[in-house]
Amino acid sequence: MPISDLLQSYLVDNDTWDEMYARASVREQYTKAIDFLQQLSPEELNKKEDLAKKLFMSQGITFTVYNSGEGIEKIFPFDIIPRIITATEWDFIERGIKQRLKALNLFLKDIYSNQFILKDGIIPAQIIFSCPHYLREMHNFAVPYDIYVHISGIDLIRDADGTFYILEDNLRTPSGVSYMLENREITKRIFPDLLPNNNVRSVTEYPNILYRNLVSFSPRQIKNPTIVLLTPGIYNSAYFEHSTLARLMGVELVQGSDLVVDNHKVYMKTTNGLQQVDVIYRRVDDEFLDPLVFNPTSMLGVAGILSAYRKGNVAIVNALGNGVADDKAVYTYVPAMIKYYLSEEPILKNVSTYHLAQEEEREYVFSNIQNMVIKKTNESGGYGMLMGSAASDEEIFQYKNEVLANPREFIAQPIISLSSAPCYMDGKLQARRIDLRPYALCGPDGVEIVPGGLTRVALREGSLIVNSSQGGGSKDTWVLGSQGLAGESE
Amino acid sequence: MPRFIIQHITLYNYEEPVTDSTNQIILFPVEDEHQQLVNQQLTITGDPVVEIYKDYYGNKVGSFMNIAPHRELRIDSKVEVITVPRVLPEDIAEPIKQWSALKLLANDVLFLDFLRQENFSALAEMKAVADAGFYEVVSVYLAVQQLTEYVYTNFKYIQGVTSVETTLEEIWKLKAGVCQDFAHILLAMLRILHIPARYVSGYVCPKDEGMRGEGATHAWVEAYIPSYGWLGLDPTNNCVVNDLHVRLAIGRNFSDCSPVKGTYKGTARQTLEVGVSVAYDDGMVSDEENSFLKSQPVWSNPVDDGLNSYQRYMEMIQQQQ
Repeated sequence: MPISDLLQSYLVDNDTWDEMYARASVREQYTKAIDFLQQLSPEELNKKEDLAKKLFMSQGITFTVYNSGEGIEKIFPFDIIPRIITATEWDFIERGIKQRLKALNLFLKDIYSNQFILKDGIIPAQIIFSCPHYLREMHNFAVPYDIYVHISGIDLIRDADGTFYILEDNLRTPSGVSYMLENREITKRIFPDLLPNNNVRSVTEYPNILYRNLVSFSPRQIKNPTIVLLTPGIYNSAYFEHSTLARLMGVELVQGSDLVVDNHKVYMKTTNGLQQVDVIYRRVDDEFLDPLVFNPTSMLGVAGILSAYRKGNVAIVNALGNGVADDKAVYTYVPAMIKYYLSEEPILKNVSTYHLAQEEEREYVFSNIQNMVIKKTNESGGYGMLMGSAASDEEIFQYKNEVLANPREFIAQPIISLSSAPCYMDGKLQARRIDLRPYALCGPDGVEIVPGGLTRVALREGSLIVNSSQGGGSKDTWVLGSQGLAGESE
Repeated sequence: MPRFIIQHITLYNYEEPVTDSTNQIILFPVEDEHQQLVNQQLTITGDPVVEIYKDYYGNKVGSFMNIAPHRELRIDSKVEVITVPRVLPEDIAEPIKQWSALKLLANDVLFLDFLRQENFSALAEMKAVADAGFYEVVSVYLAVQQLTEYVYTNFKYIQGVTSVETTLEEIWKLKAGVCQDFAHILLAMLRILHIPARYVSGYVCPKDEGMRGEGATHAWVEAYIPSYGWLGLDPTNNCVVNDLHVRLAIGRNFSDCSPVKGTYKGTARQTLEVGVSVAYDDGMVSDEENSFLKSQPVWSNPVDDGLNSYQRYMEMIQQQQ
């Protein structure tokens, strides 16, 4: 099939920014990849797609959907056409995220100590004090290097004119980075020549950077500190990721029952007895981490872990209490934080957000509900949200009642159309909506972001919901090197 | 100035040896201009290291571990405390000025935690009782005493009908409970009227006449009175707190101040006995040791959660998600 056929079937919505196509021509960053694809016959492309599926299956790259009533583990749908980001775009994103994380870390330090930002009236204290993830237990002690957000996954979207916006900050236990790594591995297998020819920057350094950072957080200055990855267990949606990261970093994968706290130190139970643990990369939520202090019925945590943490005998990554910074009601104030702590203008913009606890804003949202997406302030993964454009009258009625019962728990945003990118589906290229989650790592020497991230795709035509739990898939995400910058070196 | 020697014993017994016990204690008397700590002896089974830190509310909190198998955990705290009589509010400012002074605290970081009342289904009923139109005609000092009396009169003091898990709504319907319950009800009513109110745990030490709350840890409330400060109110005994109450901790509610709590591994059933005895400076003792320990219901027995092994396994899967 000549390329013209591949592209002819490609329809782009006029009100949408398309990553590949601009005014009926292919954007420069995509030309090499599209030129290459056009040389492949449909049979070959189908074979590539098949191979990708088999690789995902045989490597067990899965995630879990809750409440689906089906077999719980699923293959994460992967689209073989990469999403391509130019060096200029990436530079902008990178600077914006670094700035944002700097401010968010300063905010958490401030909230858990002096609370200057509340005393100066920049953020209403009510919003912080009513946030269920504001942990008063995090007051009165310092965390190593004043870093609270060691690992973040900040979601970006693009408006119709291509402007990048921050959609949400994920600062607790963000997931998806293993799919970023696996997607790249699959691309290497199915299109071996494409990466070096396009000068694509490598993402494979991620586990090494994370490991190096984890070592540097160790309270004991010893050569080989004991680092563990604490998982809730095999039934967690991100268990694949937990085991992958532990394997790639060469650290122990443990559950709460493998650890014990004695005399304010954390130990791992091994066949050779107890071994002191220095750093815990935990993927267990705050509430379940210490049954002594938080949820007493938790079977996932370790009693006394907070005492060990407070005493400085163990580092916990990410810190506890970060939920106060990625609460969707607090999100509105991140640009103000950037100005307050850094005296800088925010590089990346926020999506305008309405607080439903405020009557005027709520009235406005309710009367324009068709153009709004309403979200719970403390949920993630696309659970519990309402798309005003797609909901029935009955659903809207019920949702409004839910909002009125607890308005503090909801925010609304105008529906942003999200940019589209080509996906290979049913033998042709089709435009589907995407977002971008780059993974940033904060260490003693600053913030590092591997050039790339997870591009999530709303696989249903016209859908704007990219969450894997809501029928989303993903793509390999390429960041191109600027001239002279080394690309993928493997 | 009264001087008290208070002995507070918490004794857990397990049918079979248990391991990995981790505990948190808030048993350290507040030290300020109204209360002096002369000394404290803390004796714990196994002699573990107790780490003490100050929590968000300024309370001293201790934590310790005991991971070796054990059948008994005894926490014995003996304190000698001197309390200083308080001067009570003069209460001369006009009521309207006092109430408007309180409203200015609504966004104050120092008071927010003590002003927020969680929503619960009987809130509307309670609001009808704690009615601003009714109370704001008198001074804040008088209003808080009237509310204290309301709780004292309308709730029956009955032990064993409530637990630490009983909700505010249940207590409100039951119209009965113990000191924690009385305190939680009064806290909610004060907060409805925008009076900052905090929970206090401690001991009550009356010498001559008996008071409710003896023989165990007691709980009461402190309300913020404009141009005075925090004033203690004991709804269980219908009085303004003075030098017969010894404070251990303050917080939003019981769970911020829980005197002793812990977790352990093992399936053994546990029993709990608690006793508080007070000796006065003239040598009189309210209770002799060993006779004053009273057994307490245990609300979190691992084998008492009503689940079978399969259900517990399913519960664990649920949590992992």
